[in-house]
Amino acid sequence: MLTVAPPDAVELRSNATFEALMWALSRPGDIRTLPDAGFDAIAETLVDLECSAYADTSEMRERIVASGAMLADRIGDADHVFITALEDAGQQLAEINCGTALYPDDGATLIVAAAHRGQRLRLSGPGIKDATEIALDLPSGFWAMRDLLCLYPEGFDIFCVDGDKVIGIPRSTKVEVL
Amino acid sequence: MAYVATRGGEKAIEQAERLFRQDLGTIDAQRVETIRTTMPYLIDRVMGEASLYDEELAALALAQTGGELSEAVLVLRAWRTTQPRLAIARPVKQDEVLTQRRISAAFKDIPGGQILGPTLDYSHRVLATDVLEGKPFAPPQVEKATSPAPAKQPSLADWQRQQGLVAPTEPSDIAPEDIPDLTREPLLFPASRAHRLQSLARAETGGVLALGYAAMRGYGNAHPTVNELRLGEANVLVRHPRGTEFSAGRVRVSQAEVTSKEKGGYLELGFAATFGWNEVKVIAAATLDLNSDEAPVGSPVHEEFYLYHTESVEASGFCIHFKLPHYVTFQSILDAMRDTKAKKAAAEAKGEVYVAEPEEEPVL
Amino acid sequence: MSLASLTKDWAATSYGFLDASAKRELRRKMLKAIAVPGCQMPYASREVPMARGWGTGGLQVTLTLVNSASVVKVIDQGADDGVNAASIRRFISRVSGAAETWDTLSATIVQSRHRIPEEIMREDQVLVLQVPNPEPLRGVEPNISIARQMHADADYGKLWLTLYEQIVRKGRIMQGASYPAMVNGRHVMTPSPIPRWDVPKLNMARHLTFLSAGREKRLHAVPPYTRVEPLVFSDRPYQVEDHADLTCRRSGVRGFFMNELPQDGGGSVFEVSDSNLGIKAIDKADGSAIEIGETWYRNGEYSA
Repeated sequence: MLTVAPPDAVELRSNATFEALMWALSRPGDIRTLPDAGFDAIAETLVDLECSAYADTSEMRERIVASGAMLADRIGDADHVFITALEDAGQQLAEINCGTALYPDDGATLIVAAAHRGQRLRLSGPGIKDATEIALDLPSGFWAMRDLLCLYPEGFDIFCVDGDKVIGIPRSTKVEVL
Repeated sequence: MAYVATRGGEKAIEQAERLFRQDLGTIDAQRVETIRTTMPYLIDRVMGEASLYDEELAALALAQTGGELSEAVLVLRAWRTTQPRLAIARPVKQDEVLTQRRISAAFKDIPGGQILGPTLDYSHRVLATDVLEGKPFAPPQVEKATSPAPAKQPSLADWQRQQGLVAPTEPSDIAPEDIPDLTREPLLFPASRAHRLQSLARAETGGVLALGYAAMRGYGNAHPTVNELRLGEANVLVRHPRGTEFSAGRVRVSQAEVTSKEKGGYLELGFAATFGWNEVKVIAAATLDLNSDEAPVGSPVHEEFYLYHTESVEASGFCIHFKLPHYVTFQSILDAMRDTKAKKAAAEAKGEVYVAEPEEEPVL
Repeated sequence: MSLASLTKDWAATSYGFLDASAKRELRRKMLKAIAVPGCQMPYASREVPMARGWGTGGLQVTLTLVNSASVVKVIDQGADDGVNAASIRRFISRVSGAAETWDTLSATIVQSRHRIPEEIMREDQVLVLQVPNPEPLRGVEPNISIARQMHADADYGKLWLTLYEQIVRKGRIMQGASYPAMVNGRHVMTPSPIPRWDVPKLNMARHLTFLSAGREKRLHAVPPYTRVEPLVFSDRPYQVEDHADLTCRRSGVRGFFMNELPQDGGGSVFEVSDSNLGIKAIDKADGSAIEIGETWYRNGEYSA
């Protein structure tokens, strides 16, 4: 009584993308491989007409509109924030939605292009056995800004995308700049 | 595998399902069509509780489950899960509904008139046993009125607003796509009115009736007067991506507005609507809506109480889940109980007093 | 743009049963659940072709994760051949093409009701627990709006008080299964009705755990290497079920959680609750080349 459709390309890509994102967030600092480089597959996996999203490039904005999601003019109105060029964390991120103690799930997901090299960081917290060290190329004020904004369990969660590689840093992770 | 040989569970469940289906026999399009055409009110009830308007699928669900209503609703809702959402229809306005029945208990007559439409309200509920003796029951023909009632009827509440009896409504310019959708987002409390009304629209008829009746009997603080009860057909108006609005078809709908007493210089109104024609449900649901705002937390007429407990699929599913094995949790309880008894026996053997009061443990 | 571009060709059901937007919503909530361990995340919870209360929450998570390369194990009360476990496993493989297994070591996804397998789960495995009631505070506060505020305030006083009262009245904490546990030092969660025996397996585990309640529309997660501490008083240690000295009458394994089978003449015999562990032990004794993984309990003592 049940006829099941085989998976189409979108299903295959989204399933693999989610698996990468899920393990990236479960093991902060681990580098996972996305099926496609860039933000497109991530948007396809997470964003649809029940979301609001912000992007700093016109291509991503078109992608968001095509998904049916509401295009946010301000970062503070978005539940998904796609940033290709993060220059001044203080100014750009100050408004990002961190949810509330009542509904921490309202905290935004930040998807940011960041090379997996540069500044050394030590991570600890859930998902990490003791501590782990990684390198991420994000503006110098970024981590201080995050400390200021994330009042656990309020906060936002980060995916740092470098080509087809992704590192996840949930709000539960303690980040020390080395 | 020796360990499992004595269990045979998988075979037993397969045969049990076969037995259920064998008892119902072959289901064909004819059976589905007969159910659809002869049981319109049952179809309406199932479509309302399933929040899926498709008479044919509802009839199929009834055929497949032998009329086990909670199963029929579940199978439809599960099917609904697999379907994409293509468009969002424009809200239905009362005075645009193609109205076949519209009555008010609040006034002897109302602007537009009392339109009885089809109803058994004033009939004598006598079983037509003659049918069983071979004499078919052919209903007498309806005699047409000299002039037909207008297809559309104004809203009584609008007239009451003009008279200053009902509080003016704030025009809400919310875009249809921004109206929250309970089937795509969780119900949180305090619930938005949209969520409350959507939840009532798909609630189990019997459950809504039970709690609505409790409110009417005195567990609520508002005794309802039916301000307006309306059965009709609503156009489903959707917008083509190019911008043109068009009708995707018509759905039968029921609406009830009940009022009780004055609040802040105006009559309070409770409202409910659902797919299909189901008067009992919308009157009971509108009564719950009316009572909501002043209901004490934890009372049967408080929204968290009645919305959670009238959700048909959740309530019936949880009820029947107690048939599943629970021997691991039971073992865990036994262990704690035996340990306490052993401690008590040990204490008594030493001549000490072991104080333990009987207590019901919360079963999680 | 046309209507066609908004939709897809008609299909009776989608791959993995759930439609794309249902999966996206679950993915978003599953990520948030990982980001705030132990915190209940509300989700819409679509109806699936099983009754609520029969594992629909776990099933939605599994259907979101599953692909044709997945290997799925489903247990109920520890048994792979329980009628509902078998039915869920068959459904998952039917709608996804995933392989089915009874072996904890071969599974990529283990969906379970009321038990965690005895063999230690690996870093690449996901455990999906079916949850009837996700709210550890329900027993002390049935209203979920108030309970949510209590979580927001980390106000667990009422819960501690009932545990204390049990000690005063009965000489011990009487909570059977569903023993409340503090996750990452912030949120108290129910680990679902697993026995007390299984709760330590979640603490600093290698695997990822999702706990999902379909009827109550809440899901929470325990990421790998996350602290999960049962609520206990420092002078009253956590007590697991007294099963360390019991022996399975069929397989002979000893020191695992057991099912008790009452006997006609009075008294009871025991069978290991993780039924596939029993099968593997029997097969191994018969000379088959069977791998039994390392277990969380050794000689009846938790030692992972």
